Amino acid sequence: MSRPKPLVAAIAVATVAATALAGCSSSAAKKSNGGSGGGGTGGVFTSIDANNKITAGAPMNPFNAAPNMFLGYNQMQLGFSKNDPSDPNALLPGLAASWTSSDSGLTIQLQPGAKWSDGTPVTVADIKTSLAIAYTHGTAGPVASAGGTVVAGNNFEVSDVKDLGGGKIEIDQQPGVKNLYFQRLVLTATIVANSVYGSQLPADVWSQIAAVQGTDQAAASAASAKLTAEGKTIAAFAPAKDVSAGPFVETRVNPGEALLDRNQYFYAAAKISPKQVILRSYSGNQQIWGYMNGGELDYAPYTSMPTNILNQVLGAGYTRIDAPSYVSASIAFNEKQAPYNLTPVRQALAYVIDRDAVTKVGEPVGGIAAPTTTGLVGSQSDSILSSDQKSALNPYKPDTAKATSLLQGAGFTKDASGKWHLPGGQPWTITLQTVNGFSDWIAASTIVANELTAFGIPTTAAITADFATYQKEMAAGKYAVGWWLVALGPQTDKAYARIYGSADGYSVSNGQATHNDAAPTNWEHTPATYTVNGQSIDPGQLAAQLSTTPVASQQPIIAQLAAATNQELPMIQIWNYTHVMFTLDKRFTNYPKSGQNDLLANPPGVWMMQGYVQGK
Amino acid sequence: MTGFARRLAGKLLTGLVMVWVVVTFTFFLVHALPGKPGDVQYEQYIMSGMTADQASAKVQAIYGFTSHDSLLAQYGGYLGKLAHGDLGQSISYSGVPVSHLIWSALPWTVIPVLSGLLVSFLIGVVAGIVAAVKRSSRWGGLLTVSGSLVAGVPAFVLALLLLVVFHTEWNLLPDAGTSDIQYDPGWNLPYIGSVVQHAVLPVCAYALLSYGGWLLAMKSSVVSVLGDDFILASELRGIAPVTRARYIGRNAILPLFTVLALSFGVMFAGSFFIEDTFDYPGLGDLLLKSIGTRDYPVMAGAFLLITVSIIVANIIADLCYTLIDPRVRR
Repeated sequence: MSRPKPLVAAIAVATVAATALAGCSSSAAKKSNGGSGGGGTGGVFTSIDANNKITAGAPMNPFNAAPNMFLGYNQMQLGFSKNDPSDPNALLPGLAASWTSSDSGLTIQLQPGAKWSDGTPVTVADIKTSLAIAYTHGTAGPVASAGGTVVAGNNFEVSDVKDLGGGKIEIDQQPGVKNLYFQRLVLTATIVANSVYGSQLPADVWSQIAAVQGTDQAAASAASAKLTAEGKTIAAFAPAKDVSAGPFVETRVNPGEALLDRNQYFYAAAKISPKQVILRSYSGNQQIWGYMNGGELDYAPYTSMPTNILNQVLGAGYTRIDAPSYVSASIAFNEKQAPYNLTPVRQALAYVIDRDAVTKVGEPVGGIAAPTTTGLVGSQSDSILSSDQKSALNPYKPDTAKATSLLQGAGFTKDASGKWHLPGGQPWTITLQTVNGFSDWIAASTIVANELTAFGIPTTAAITADFATYQKEMAAGKYAVGWWLVALGPQTDKAYARIYGSADGYSVSNGQATHNDAAPTNWEHTPATYTVNGQSIDPGQLAAQLSTTPVASQQPIIAQLAAATNQELPMIQIWNYTHVMFTLDKRFTNYPKSGQNDLLANPPGVWMMQGYVQGK
Repeated sequence: MTGFARRLAGKLLTGLVMVWVVVTFTFFLVHALPGKPGDVQYEQYIMSGMTADQASAKVQAIYGFTSHDSLLAQYGGYLGKLAHGDLGQSISYSGVPVSHLIWSALPWTVIPVLSGLLVSFLIGVVAGIVAAVKRSSRWGGLLTVSGSLVAGVPAFVLALLLLVVFHTEWNLLPDAGTSDIQYDPGWNLPYIGSVVQHAVLPVCAYALLSYGGWLLAMKSSVVSVLGDDFILASELRGIAPVTRARYIGRNAILPLFTVLALSFGVMFAGSFFIEDTFDYPGLGDLLLKSIGTRDYPVMAGAFLLITVSIIVANIIADLCYTLIDPRVRR
């Protein structure tokens, strides 16, 4: 019999001792298997909040940059967006049971029995304080803007909050202001307790808001400065404990996990099955996959994953749920750098890149190869454009003959070794820029580089150290060709503002766009106008118009923008993302299914409010 | 003034100058990084559906802790605050004091690294003595090979290996965090047990990482001492093996003592890879996050702590060395 090596023995002893010590009331196995079973009501629901990592030392304050607060669990809103492309104002009820919109604003009816976790009712004072805080944080409108005649699609400018009695509250929009998305912006503001946050605001905060909305420029400017300072105070505020109107209330946070207990005063407490929720920290995708392989998570958010990991996760018992995602990965150009200022060059590259092949490697699980480039994800452009408009789009199917013809037409030449040369005779090489941490872009870059190199344009993929540097250098015009996320919907004005907005030298004020090619944020440098189907259009102005045009009337504008984007290719859409989530039907059941997009656009806490996620 | 006090005063003065130099260098270095606080968050706000105006306004509100003074004015202000022990406010945590963040992270670096360091030092030194004394035997060879192997493995490989074996395969130990959230933090057995349980893998990683170095250094030192005349003389005079071993140990451990003292200083830097692998929220993790978000005050604070701890450890090592080795005093 061989004796154990000293080192191994030491580790074994330490392991046994630690496990025994911790075994008093817990075991490693218990923890690694995630939460306990549901059993009707009860049990621990374990998950991850992908949008909000646990941050040790940060306060339980949703207005902090690193908040230990979790939307849908202990961070509440009056309503939750359905992310419906046909109606951006469509919402699921939250603290507001119902609402009606009018030209002057919004009237909401609070949920009967809406209470904070300390047992006190949710009142108009809470809504008023919360909307004032939203104002100090920019989400309720640009605090620096003044004037009473603003017509904008970007901000809602609440001017007053009135108690109509019986839980009915009137929220007024600034007179003269008409925002198409006022309802959604108000209802999705974070609602906090006046008893906790009210003391952080000055008593005259609404007078300051009135001054900002007034016509006296000096008073508006002074009030704006005060509101900004108050926003900082709110952001830094650290409440002693969580007071939540959501289904859960935060009991404690350690650097690795947050523990939330069921809020007995929640207005729909009977619908909430889990007794506790544990949200786990994570350092990267691999760790989330590790949790899933061990069956530790009841719900896992989207992570970019390769096929072998998908198979492992499905093998561990998870069910895949797909929901729409309004994001597209694209390869964008800086048109200030030759030869990318030439439309035939960008079109030729679109013909060379095989988007199916690239997607299979870059985003095999959560990606669908883009059918073409329109500035919107494929499913959205399909539903908006007419058959004729769709058939007029160029799909840019892989076709090296067409690419060759386009390049030759633009004066490019090919040498004996098959390498392309610029019209001036210099060899043409491409550096495709991507960024560290974006594993899908990095993997896809290799395929794109191979395809372009095989076509005769030697291409190398370069990786920037982090995203902050990538943004800075991209804005500074350092990259001629690089990856970029576009089609950020479902609001089409935002999707097109992403392309023909600040990154292209446009600034929008009161629905009017002005173009400045020398703007410091401009790295795309597309021309101010395009000629499409014999008609000259200003894409920046059209994108700005979308923000003040009702959804029902947007189609003709979108058709022009889609056609222009498809023809001019300021970027080539490579794949459209799908929102892939995973649920484990082991401790809990009755999860929403693929197709229930209203619910799937929201975190599981919102599902629970609607009666989903029941213990087994 | 005694000689010791003079030496102490001299070293403190030198240390202070070194701290100032490093503080100045790191201050300008961190501000030279491309990008600025809020850049990444701005992009996330845009991705979450905010307009450019809203995202800018929100970034301005919650990252309003970024100073807009000239860099030189910021430097002057920073030194002034530093003189009063104020490390400033975090940008990426919306005004949370930097000292609070550092104090929150500190225990999760000091406890596991210190434990790992002491465990590896004790095992490494003993194993090094055995490897030197038995260097012609199979055991001596095996120990030397184990030291060389472990010393050559990168930190992240070692950490991943431990994670795969003890968590993924055997499910004996937790993979991440500092304790089980179900337990009330405090001086109660379940919580302490959970902390210990979560610390085992990081401590083992730290211990394994430095074990090889201690073993090889000690072996080399012992072999060198074994060749000294006084060892031969002690053998010829028939001094007991235990006493001889003490002579050997005391003389051989002197060079390692300096390294150990310096390691105490270096440990404040934690280990990015180990803390990242085990999602352990120590100083290394804090520093890494602050670099990603361009949180200049936190970066400067973390660098300052690391610098000061190394300089202080250096001074203590120098002073202690004079106490344990009388030859140095001459």
